[in-house]
Amino acid sequence: MLREKLNQLFTLYDPAIQTIIAEVLTLEQAYISMKTPHLKEPIDQIVTRIASKELERMDEHKD
Amino acid sequence: MTDIVNIRDTVTIDEAAHEIYKQLTEGSNLLEAPFKTMKDVFMFATCLGVKLGIKRQLTIKKLTIFRWAQFDSQTDIPMLKAIAIADTDDVSVLLRRNDILTIAEEYANAGIYELRASLLEEYGQPLWNLVSIVSQGIN
Amino acid sequence: MKFERIILENFRQYYVQERLDFAKDNQRRVTVIHGVNGAGKTSLFLAINWCLYGEGVDNVGELISKEAIKQASPGDTVTMSVELSFLHDGERYLAKRTRRGTRMLDGSVQINSSDEFIMMRILWDGQAQSIKNPIGTINAILPSNIRSYYLFDGEKIDDFAKPEAAKEVKEAIYLVFKLETLDRARRHLETAASDYRKELKTSTTGELLNLLDEDEKARGELGKKENRKVEITAEIQAARRKINDIDQRLREIQNAKFLQQQRDRVEQDLKQRRSELEDTQNLIRDISTTSYYTIVQPAIERALSLLEEKRERGEIPSNIRRQFVQDLVAQMQCICGRPFTAGSPEHQRLLRILDNALPGSLEDDVLEITATLRAFNERILRQRSELTILMKRRAELVDLIKDLDAVSDDIGRQLKDSQFEEVSRLELQRENFLTDIDRYNIETGELTRDIEGLKEKIAQLEKRIAQARKNEKREKLLSIKFDLAQKAADAIKDMYQTYADDMRLRIEGKTKEIFKMLIWKDSHFRDVCISRDFELEVIDRYGRPARPELSAGERQVLSLSFITAMSRISEEEAPLVMDTPFGRLSSQPRNNVTRYLPELADQLVLLVTDEELRDQARANLESRIGYEYILEFDPKTSCTTIVEVRR
Repeated sequence: MLREKLNQLFTLYDPAIQTIIAEVLTLEQAYISMKTPHLKEPIDQIVTRIASKELERMDEHKD
Repeated sequence: MTDIVNIRDTVTIDEAAHEIYKQLTEGSNLLEAPFKTMKDVFMFATCLGVKLGIKRQLTIKKLTIFRWAQFDSQTDIPMLKAIAIADTDDVSVLLRRNDILTIAEEYANAGIYELRASLLEEYGQPLWNLVSIVSQGIN
Repeated sequence: MKFERIILENFRQYYVQERLDFAKDNQRRVTVIHGVNGAGKTSLFLAINWCLYGEGVDNVGELISKEAIKQASPGDTVTMSVELSFLHDGERYLAKRTRRGTRMLDGSVQINSSDEFIMMRILWDGQAQSIKNPIGTINAILPSNIRSYYLFDGEKIDDFAKPEAAKEVKEAIYLVFKLETLDRARRHLETAASDYRKELKTSTTGELLNLLDEDEKARGELGKKENRKVEITAEIQAARRKINDIDQRLREIQNAKFLQQQRDRVEQDLKQRRSELEDTQNLIRDISTTSYYTIVQPAIERALSLLEEKRERGEIPSNIRRQFVQDLVAQMQCICGRPFTAGSPEHQRLLRILDNALPGSLEDDVLEITATLRAFNERILRQRSELTILMKRRAELVDLIKDLDAVSDDIGRQLKDSQFEEVSRLELQRENFLTDIDRYNIETGELTRDIEGLKEKIAQLEKRIAQARKNEKREKLLSIKFDLAQKAADAIKDMYQTYADDMRLRIEGKTKEIFKMLIWKDSHFRDVCISRDFELEVIDRYGRPARPELSAGERQVLSLSFITAMSRISEEEAPLVMDTPFGRLSSQPRNNVTRYLPELADQLVLLVTDEELRDQARANLESRIGYEYILEFDPKTSCTTIVEVRR
């Protein structure tokens, strides 16, 4: 499947990066038929969510 | 329409006047800050307002400084009632605590600035300025 | 995606209801639909497009069957719909688009609102489950923007092989292989990263550290000052003790005893007087701060006379209470909004509450006030005289204290001037200690003030620190967001070209493979290329670009090769629906194509004229055909019936 192939492109990258890319790609694909979709909010939500998890992970490692 | 649960219990002042109230009550030096309680300051401010015939509506920015229960029933409350009667020329105001309060608060809101002027902005320590005001009485 | 069946209701030539099943076996995967021009092949093609996407129907005139409109009476609703059932990823789906219109008097039809599009999932037991987001779902199965590479209009077969077709080729690859998706993702992530960076710039990093620093300093200072205060207190006590020792010593010395004893008495007196002064001042304060009524005597008089007047004029009714209370209750409503019903328990309760809250009667209240106010006048006089007495006493005390101080100083001087060295020395020391105590007191005053200020400052700092901690946390998050967004965008940028190249080469390879398979002049062409600029090119055996020399048929086969190559590589399972694909091919390429085409798609639907499918071409497809239909057009009614050809 094309989706798998796309995600496989990024296996050498950090898991957090991979997750963001995978989710953003899915989001973009859903709105691909719109010329200029407004995706600033949903993308920010995705990034914030992944970043928060990273922050938690970092804090845990500190303690 | 009166709602029985809304009889006011709190006495409010303008936020802007709060500083003056604090100056007149805070600290241990009774020559500089003679008043023991906010209520005392309030009563004085009210009476000064009444004496000079000036009133001032409270603004939106206000705060509660004490409660009705703090008023002395032998001296303060009859005083406030008398002021209310003199102000409205209507005896039935005695039954409306909210009105009595509002009238007093508006006089106090004007009188407080006079109080500051006479006590804090005159030469001499505030306590003696106060004594002279009280002794003179009628000007 | 594999089509199962289509049902057309009043769609163009298809009056009332016409249906068609699609072949979907592995072996028999071809559905052939014959029709002369105008019979309804194109309409069928349009119906599929319209049903799934609501598109592709501009400039084709009215979709609703003219016959249906004609047969309806004015005011009747005419319904048009296309229903398509299909399989995808192991599930069965149903998509249906409906349009309704009202037949007008003049024979036209007015469309009611917009078309209705629904999708359902058909479960094993035949139950239909409605799908909440039909548009999203169909676009996830076969995106609208690439549908033209599957629902393939034969008229356009030339497009990709035209010399100016680079744009078309690029766009096709771009869309089908989600390069557009990647590109958008990269751009949006870049924008997000840039936004985060801007936000970070305006941040207040370092603020927390500064505040903590300040806080530490302030606390340090506070500690120092508090310690100093304690020190000074000890010093004062020590000095006092030393003074006591000296006094004791002086009492013992013959030549100083007398004076010292005198001083002792004076100090004792002073202490008393000072205490009395303090008490007096307290009293003065107590009285003066509570005699506010002295300044409003006129108002009191006025109130009193007002009350008297009213009483004399009988304007204070004595039994006002009951009436007043009842009026009050009549005006009030229960807190929940219902008025009190007379005699109800709430009513009784309220009367009881009011009875207790109000004064005995208004008249009683007035009497009470009158008495109190009269008493005020007496009180005013009394307090005034009290105050006068106290102020006088205060003045006296101040003078007394002044005098006593003078006496004490004098004694001190005498002792200092004593001939006796020890006495003089002791007195000098004593004086020094007193001076020290004075200094310490002053310092204490300053320290107290400073300590107040520092405490206030620390309180403020604490607030700001809490806020800064919050900000710092927010900033850490923002910093990570920036990092992630930027890195994700960069990752896409890095891999994009690799991916694009990879796809391009694969499509190139596949196109070549298919083209070779389909074209008959095998040896004449050596290679098929898709350049970096996405030009689809054929290289002849001399190594030269051969596209200008391609015949019309060859060009069309090249296009077809490209299309089917894309469809194979993308692995999107979708039926290839071709409307008159062979119309322009000459017989040779047609035969080749029909031989290999079934292998190039999972499901094939061919809408052909009789001209297109004859002889060898027909024979080539025979073993793969699952269903065959003829579109029979009735010129009288202008309607088409779908007739199955039994095999």
